[in-house]
Amino acid sequence: MSFDVVGFDLTEGIIHFLKVFGGVLAAALFAAFLISILKNGVSGAGLFFKGLGRGCSDFLQTSPKRVWAITVLTWREASRKKALFVFVIFALLLMFAGWFLKGSVDRPDLQIKNYISFILRAITWLTLPVMLLLSCWGIPTDIKNRSLHTVVTKPVRRQEVMLGRFFGFTLVGSVVLSVMGITGYYWTVGQVPQEARAELVSRVPVYCNKTSFTNNQGGKEDTGINVGDIWQFRSYIAGGTKARALYKFDDLDLDAIRQDKRLRMEYNFEAFRTHKGEMDKRLLCQLTIVNNKSDLRVPLPIFEIQEFSNRAQEKTITLEESVSYNEEGTSTVKTANLFDDILEGNSITVEVQCLDPGQFIGMARPDLFIKMPDRSFASSYFKAVFGIWLQMVLIIVIGVTAGCFVKGPVATLLTFGIVMVGASGLSDLMRGLVTGTQNGGGPFESAYRMLFHMNPTTEIDAGPLSAVMTVLDTIMIGFLWTIQHLFPRFDFFNMSQYAANGIDVPWNATLLPSILVTLAFVIPCLILGYFSLQLREMEAK
Amino acid sequence: MSEPENVIEIRNLSKDYRDFWGRRKVQALKSLSLDVKKGEIFGLLGPNGSGKTTTMKLLLGLLFPTAGDVKIFGEPSSNVEKNERIGYLPEESYLYRFLNADETLDFYGRLFNMSKAERKQRCEELIQQVGIQHARKRPLKEYSKGMTRRIGLAQALINNPELVLLDEPTSGLDPIGTRDMKDMILKLRDEGKTVVMCSHLLADVQDVCDRIAILYGGELKVVGKVDELLKSKDQDQFLTSALSPEARADIEAVLKKHDAKLISSDRPTSTLEELFLKTVQISQENPGQRFVSEEKGSDSPLDQKSEAKD
Ligand SMILES: Nc1ncnc2c1ncn2[C@@H]1O[C@H](COP(=O)(O)OP(=O)(O)OP(=O)(O)O)[C@@H](O)[C@H]1O
Ligand SMILES: [Mg+2]
Repeated sequence: MSFDVVGFDLTEGIIHFLKVFGGVLAAALFAAFLISILKNGVSGAGLFFKGLGRGCSDFLQTSPKRVWAITVLTWREASRKKALFVFVIFALLLMFAGWFLKGSVDRPDLQIKNYISFILRAITWLTLPVMLLLSCWGIPTDIKNRSLHTVVTKPVRRQEVMLGRFFGFTLVGSVVLSVMGITGYYWTVGQVPQEARAELVSRVPVYCNKTSFTNNQGGKEDTGINVGDIWQFRSYIAGGTKARALYKFDDLDLDAIRQDKRLRMEYNFEAFRTHKGEMDKRLLCQLTIVNNKSDLRVPLPIFEIQEFSNRAQEKTITLEESVSYNEEGTSTVKTANLFDDILEGNSITVEVQCLDPGQFIGMARPDLFIKMPDRSFASSYFKAVFGIWLQMVLIIVIGVTAGCFVKGPVATLLTFGIVMVGASGLSDLMRGLVTGTQNGGGPFESAYRMLFHMNPTTEIDAGPLSAVMTVLDTIMIGFLWTIQHLFPRFDFFNMSQYAANGIDVPWNATLLPSILVTLAFVIPCLILGYFSLQLREMEAK
Repeated sequence: MSEPENVIEIRNLSKDYRDFWGRRKVQALKSLSLDVKKGEIFGLLGPNGSGKTTTMKLLLGLLFPTAGDVKIFGEPSSNVEKNERIGYLPEESYLYRFLNADETLDFYGRLFNMSKAERKQRCEELIQQVGIQHARKRPLKEYSKGMTRRIGLAQALINNPELVLLDEPTSGLDPIGTRDMKDMILKLRDEGKTVVMCSHLLADVQDVCDRIAILYGGELKVVGKVDELLKSKDQDQFLTSALSPEARADIEAVLKKHDAKLISSDRPTSTLEELFLKTVQISQENPGQRFVSEEKGSDSPLDQKSEAKD
């Protein structure tokens, strides 16, 4: 298991959001303005600005009391229409799940992962579809039954209807999710055998900001060697040469380490063999701590890479408060103090080398991390549940918005489609197109190549035609880029794998971006839904 | 700004229902102009599909006019604030069927930002008034049609509105309920409220309405004060005490002598039903003909009919 945990840049994220949001908003306003003028002639301009003004004043007059009334209504509706039936299914699942999960792996500690992923998956697959259906059918049913007629002829603003529905479904979902989450927690803990409970923790990794490498001759490089692996996640260093990988960890929480009286690291290197070597031996690897200020080098004991192990303990390297080591080049045994000699202020640099000549070890940025003192299992588990909650909120807001435009079944399909696209991420083709790394150019150029049976790598002769195609493709790709950002990226939200692997969910790389993605969708969706409800007649069509 | 005398002003209002592609399906209203004055009970009549409900929905901003405009309390109908002063009873009570009567009234009370005490008091009053105390804790899905109508009316009155729009308020009600409804409407007028109602029960309309309009095929055919519309101009009517056979025999003589005890003398009024049927009949024969405009103040269809007979 590897995560490429990328810290999230808040400012960049916000700028990004403003770009997409602003772009779409400007386009939408312009389109609305045009339509208004086409429909109503010159007076259309006035109508457009009046509508806009009314929209703003309506939003300012939102009454929390009315929103709450509709929230309560939604809660009652869901509970009285037996939507809470999902609890029963959940309970049934839990009662019988034990039969299927038990005994699938011999070692009890390895089952922990199964239990955790099972429970989190069960919660996800029970709550999200139910909430999707509920939120997509709420407003359309209201319109179809015309119960909305009775509501909007009261002094209710349209966005209050939407907000009320949104909060109502969120309330329903939150209750369902918390009951399931808490039950699931005790169920998981109960399923894990007593002797394996100690492994039920959340590790708190601190990843380095940047790795650097030296090549076989000792020269500086940004990356290691590409061994031709298709997946270019890791880069490699050759064994028995001067090739090294350097991990520099900054901003460590010194107080926590002091309290723990030790520093732990965990690795997840990959071995890459060019020859069989000794059959029963694994690759040898050594870490050296480098203090750049005092030029102190502390080589740690050589170890075998436990490449097939899933157990965190077997891959953990611990530095006690005082470390004794063999000085490099001599055989004098020395001791170094963790806090005084090894740590450079609050950072530390680790050098990795492979000792087997002719073999390679591969590593990516997250493959070596510092383990801060473990947190309880509850920490990662409930953060994962929170991740499900965020996905749920996102689905609800998209569903409610879709319901403001179209009928229930269409809204369901639409929301489902958006979620699917968001969850599966962009295809490589799309990503290549959008980032410009795709061979053969954008849609227009590709069509041209297909027509004339041209290879994607053949150069097209420069000329007016190719210029036109480039311009058209740029526009298309800009459009695709925007469209791409209109789909929420659900991959942020998948915190279950952290919990299942016993890693605490990081705030900066996962929690914060998911919260922001959710917020970034809630606000524009509300505006969209408001205008749809405002501008459409409340007749069932 | 001083309160306008006309609570509702409708000017050249037209409404086309269109399908998804924007093609016209039905022309439900054709250039309707009407005023409703403060404090009156206004009856909107017409055969099925003549555009009464459409007019109400346009008034409330549930539908958008194709042409023309509507003002309520001098404000455009798209204005949400006007709803503070309006009560609306839809054609069928479109309520949340999983709520019970108390919860329903409480919910709509909240939409007016009423305080808890206010809601409770109002709820108590209205449930008494519409007579569903016995069923107040049962969900509306178990209600009979008449009971649903009653809670629908209670819902419309929750905010003590100045203008009440009632779309067929008596449909589905039993005779007692109908009676109560009529009393309630009259009471609303006594309180100075304005009421606009649609109904097919003409006797009731005749009893309670001050003014009526008759729509036919989306066009306004008749509008005016009920008593004026129903008055015939070429007949007189006398009401006497009970007569013995001799007295009855004498009556012509007595009348000739001009000294009978006259209890009342009036122009006979026909029933509203007659007016309605004749309006519809003539409209079918001569589409496009309009009889009464208040400005002209002439020509009732009833008179027309009698002229046509001669
Ligand atoms: N949602 C709609 N879509 C299309 N046409 C409609 C719609 N609602 C009403 N109509 C049409 O508009 C016309 C007027 O309908 P409306 O409901 O206003 O009549 P009404 O006078 O209230 O009739 P009733 O006495 O039956 O209640 C009818 O021809 C009707 O078919
Ligand atoms: Mg009707």
